[in-house]
Amino acid sequence: MKTIQTKRKVLLFTFSLMFTFCASADEKYDQLVNEVEALKKQLEQVQSVLEQYKQESITKAEVQELNQKIDDSVITKERVDDLEGEVAKSGEWNSPNTLIHMAGYANVGYSSDSESYSVGSFSPIFHYQYRDKVMLESELEITIDEDGSTDIALEYLTIDYFLNDYVTVVAGKFLSPIGQFRQNIHPSWINKLASAPPGYGHDGAAPLSDVGFQLRGGFDFDETSANYAFYVSNGPRLIAAQEHDDEFELEGVEAEGFSSDNDGKKTFGGRLGFLPFKGFELGLSFATGKATVTDVELEDDVHALKSLAFGTPGDEEGEEIDLHDEIARDYDVFGVDFAYQNNGFEVRGEYLKSKVGSADEGITASEGATWESWYTQSSYLIPNTRWEPVIRYSDFTSATESRSQQQWALGINYLFTNSFIGKATYEFNDGAFDTNADEDRWLLQLAYGF
Amino acid sequence: MKNIQKNMVKFVAKPLMVLSAILITSLSFAADYPEKGDFQKGAKAWAENCARCHNMRDPKDLRDDQWITTVFHMRVRAGLTGQKTRDILTFLQESNNPPQPVKISSRSSEANNPSNMTGKEVYEQTCIACHGKDGKGAVPGVPDLTIPEGVLSQSEEVLLAHIRDGFKSKNSPMAMPAKGGNPSLSESDLLNVVAYMKSQFKQ
Repeated sequence: MKTIQTKRKVLLFTFSLMFTFCASADEKYDQLVNEVEALKKQLEQVQSVLEQYKQESITKAEVQELNQKIDDSVITKERVDDLEGEVAKSGEWNSPNTLIHMAGYANVGYSSDSESYSVGSFSPIFHYQYRDKVMLESELEITIDEDGSTDIALEYLTIDYFLNDYVTVVAGKFLSPIGQFRQNIHPSWINKLASAPPGYGHDGAAPLSDVGFQLRGGFDFDETSANYAFYVSNGPRLIAAQEHDDEFELEGVEAEGFSSDNDGKKTFGGRLGFLPFKGFELGLSFATGKATVTDVELEDDVHALKSLAFGTPGDEEGEEIDLHDEIARDYDVFGVDFAYQNNGFEVRGEYLKSKVGSADEGITASEGATWESWYTQSSYLIPNTRWEPVIRYSDFTSATESRSQQQWALGINYLFTNSFIGKATYEFNDGAFDTNADEDRWLLQLAYGF
Repeated sequence: MKNIQKNMVKFVAKPLMVLSAILITSLSFAADYPEKGDFQKGAKAWAENCARCHNMRDPKDLRDDQWITTVFHMRVRAGLTGQKTRDILTFLQESNNPPQPVKISSRSSEANNPSNMTGKEVYEQTCIACHGKDGKGAVPGVPDLTIPEGVLSQSEEVLLAHIRDGFKSKNSPMAMPAKGGNPSLSESDLLNVVAYMKSQFKQ
């Protein structure tokens, strides 16, 4: 009996032990299964990545080809040295003895009197400078006519020799130094209105340009300074108009820089500028010389100007008029100008009077004539904005009554940049009835100085 | 991988070296004429003479060599003396070449050094040409320093950064060049002039 109990105990122990082992084996199996599943997933991911890599990667041959290309294009140290040497040589253009620079300005716009868009002008300015000794300056004026053809004019061409700190010799065709508007204010990116004051354009009171020599320069004192420009030139020519009764009268002064002096009489003139205190400049101008009638306009067809310099124009009957013996008349100009700036506020003005004497001999003998014009203008750049309102009043008295004009001009400018300006100008014009001088108009303009 | 890195170095670094060499070489070639003028006098002459006829142009509108021809052109037109021309040109060219950025550490050490100039001296030599004696602005586009809640109400750090790096006010047609165009100003000079402006002009 004891033996049977002992066997039962042994069996019970054995089963217990086996059960324990079986339970332990099941846990390990589950663990192994999980590990295998995880490894399987990892293997699939690796295979996927490898497949992707295989698809995206380049072949060995391609790698070699790429390496070859890289080697071919790589800049070696020697090549870098060569390039640096070449750069050093090419850098010499930055410090040559001669500098070349193109500046200038252009403007486009719209005018309500012609109801047309227009190209005002393209005016490139060329500068060639030899060290600080001499400079060649030249400005072209390129415009488009109503018929679409292009006109090119030589606005000025001068050689400027910087003699010393106080004197510059200017030779060639230059803008008239009489007054301020023509020589410094007329470029469209500088002029604050879209038009010139009446009398400061062609055949007005102010001379435009001349051909000859100038001495220009300035002097500085303690808190003040002065500048000057004196010139001798060929001077202007005159236009006469033939009346019905075969009498003549002076029609206009052509002062646009002639390269020959038909009467051999030189014109002398200049301007003195004083800057007594900061922001203010006062200028006095004068010119004196002789001028001769070289052109005649026929009263019946004033728009068909005969080009008659030294020529023989036809009179009303078609007979030729010989202008060779016309005498040189007195020609005198007087002007005064001022300008004052303080921060964004500016006021400036100018008065000019051109006077031509009478002639009692010659075909075109007539009384003398006077052209007179003045304007004053004020503008204000509104602080912290780019808007600039402008107002100008002008009064031009011409020897030809139909060209006389009084004008109020109001403008508003927008400064896109300091040299790119949009302008809107309205002119209230008062002139001879039923002429252009009496017609009010809108002017819109984009002006760019470069 | 190593080859790719090596090639990247060849591709990027060496061209950068060449480009740097080009830039450095270009900058080092400046015309040896005319003689150098006076920066401070040039700033004053620039503000007083250029606005006689036209809007002020930013020094950065033109390259250094283009400024030579332009200023000589203006010498003839405006009746400037040779010396005034050289002064204006010096001001424009130096304003056109802002100083290299200064490292923070050197700024700190520099700020600890005693200044060579007082704030008043810096203002009168460099700032007055554009900002005016009264701080209200001498040329178009320059902000009025006397306005309450104006530019001087900003923090010292902001003002220093604007002066150090240059700044363009909103709607202003021109920008103030870095350090007012005077690269010789030290960090302590800038600190002094900020303090001076605040004491003089801030309402």
